[in-house]
Amino acid sequence: MTALVGRIRALPSWQVTLFVALLALGFLIAAQLSAEGPRVRYTTQQRSPLVETALDLQAQQDALKAQILDLRDRIQALQEQGEGSAALVRQLNDRLEEARLAAGLLPLTGTGIVLRLEDSTQPVAPGANESDYIVSAADVRTVVEELWLAGAEAISINEERVTGSTAIIDIGGSILVNSAYQAQPYTVTALGPPDLWSRLSAQPGFADFFRARAETFGIRVSLAEPESVDIPAFAGTIALRNARVLVPSPSPSP
Amino acid sequence: MRRWRNRLSITAVAFVLGLLVVVQLRTQQAGPGLAGLSAQELTLLVANLSARNDQLRAEVGTLERELTTIASNQSRGEDSVDQLRTELARIRAWTGLEPVYGPGVTITVDGPLDGPAVEDLLNELRNAGAEALAVGDVRVVPGVTAIGAPGAVVVGGIGLDAPYEIRAIGSPQALTGSLTRVGGVIAVLGATYPDALLTVTPVERLELPATTRTMVPSHGQARL
Repeated sequence: MTALVGRIRALPSWQVTLFVALLALGFLIAAQLSAEGPRVRYTTQQRSPLVETALDLQAQQDALKAQILDLRDRIQALQEQGEGSAALVRQLNDRLEEARLAAGLLPLTGTGIVLRLEDSTQPVAPGANESDYIVSAADVRTVVEELWLAGAEAISINEERVTGSTAIIDIGGSILVNSAYQAQPYTVTALGPPDLWSRLSAQPGFADFFRARAETFGIRVSLAEPESVDIPAFAGTIALRNARVLVPSPSPSP
Repeated sequence: MRRWRNRLSITAVAFVLGLLVVVQLRTQQAGPGLAGLSAQELTLLVANLSARNDQLRAEVGTLERELTTIASNQSRGEDSVDQLRTELARIRAWTGLEPVYGPGVTITVDGPLDGPAVEDLLNELRNAGAEALAVGDVRVVPGVTAIGAPGAVVVGGIGLDAPYEIRAIGSPQALTGSLTRVGGVIAVLGATYPDALLTVTPVERLELPATTRTMVPSHGQARL
C-alpha cells in the first residue's frame, strides 16, 4: 500500500492532471453519446419533424414578442414627444399611460410574492392516477385565481403576463400560457399589497388547494418574498376582430 | 521542448473537455420536455403556436403602421390627437374599460354549477379566441374570479342565481365549435354536474358592460 502511494507521489503532477482530465473526457463522451441516443431514434419516427417545427415556431414566437414590445416602446416614445395642441395631447397621453397600465402592456415593479409549482417527487401510490402527481393547468389556474382574490394586481406565469385573454391549458405534462409553451418549474409572480402572502394563506380556497395537491400528492409549492417583484408586459395581440366599442345611445327623452 | 509539448497536450485536452461540457449542457436544454410529448400533443402544440404566431404577426403589422403614421404626422408637424384617440379606444376596449358589442355566444347555465366549473368555461372561451367576456352582468377582466359551491357561484363579488348567462364576444362558429366538441368542456361538465343544464347559443349581437373595477395597479409602477 505504502509502495503504491509512493509510486503515485513519484508521478509528475502533469500526469495526474492529464489522467483526471482524460477521465472526465471519457465520462462526457459517454454521457453525450447516451444523450444523443433517443434523439437519433426519433429521426426515424414521425415525431422529430414535429419537435423541430415546434421549436422553430417557438423561436419565431419569441422574436415576434420582442418585436411587439419594441414597437410599443417606440410608439409610446414618439407619442410622448408629440406636437399639437399641447394640453390636449398631454391629457390624452396621460390617459394612454393609464390604459396601458390597466391593460398589462407595461412591465411593472412593486411589492409582491413569487410562488413556484413543481411536479411531485413522491412515488405513485398503487391504484392512484399518475397525472395527480403532475402540476396541471387547473392547478396553475387555481393559484392565479386565489392570488387575484387575495388582492394581487398583476400576475405572470414564467415570462407570460396574465391578462383578460389569457388561457392556461394542459399540453402533455406541461402547460400553455398565452399559447406559449411553459416548462417546469412554473413561477407564478404576483404584484400586490405587502401582506399578499398572509392574505393568500388565510384564504380557505388556497388552504384547500394546498391540502388537496401538496399534502395529498406531494405537488411542490414554494414561496419567495423578495423585496420587490418584476412583472413583464403582455407581448401579445390586443386586436379586436369582432368586438366594437358601444357608444351609449342618447337616453330617450321622456 | 518536452515541457512545451506537455502544456500543449493539456491545453488540447482542456479545450476538448470544455467543448464537450457545453455540448452536453446544450443537449440537456434543447426543447425542454418537448421530446416527452406524444405526436398528438405535439400536433396540438404546433397548431397553437402557428395560430398565435399569425396573431402576433398581425399585431406587428398594426403597430408598424401606427408607428409610420405617427412619424409622418410628426414630420409634417400635424396634430397627433386623432391617432392618440384611436389608440386609447383600442386599448380601453380590449382591456374591458369600455362597453362593447359584437357577435358571439351565450352559455345559459341552469342548475348547480360551482365556481371552478365557471372558470373552466371562461378558460375554454379565452382559448377559443373570445375577445370580451361577462358572467351575468359582470364583465370578466383580470382580477374577476368565479368561486363558490355548486349553486352558490359568486363572480367578481356578486352572487348568481340560476339560470344565468355567460356571454362571450368572438367568432360564434369558433366559440361554439370549441365548447361543444366531443370531449370538450361542455361534455366534461355535463358528465361531472348531471343536474346542471348548459345551453350554448350562437348570437348575432351581444352587448357587454364595461368593468366597474379600478384596473390601474396601486402597489407597483411601470418599469422603464
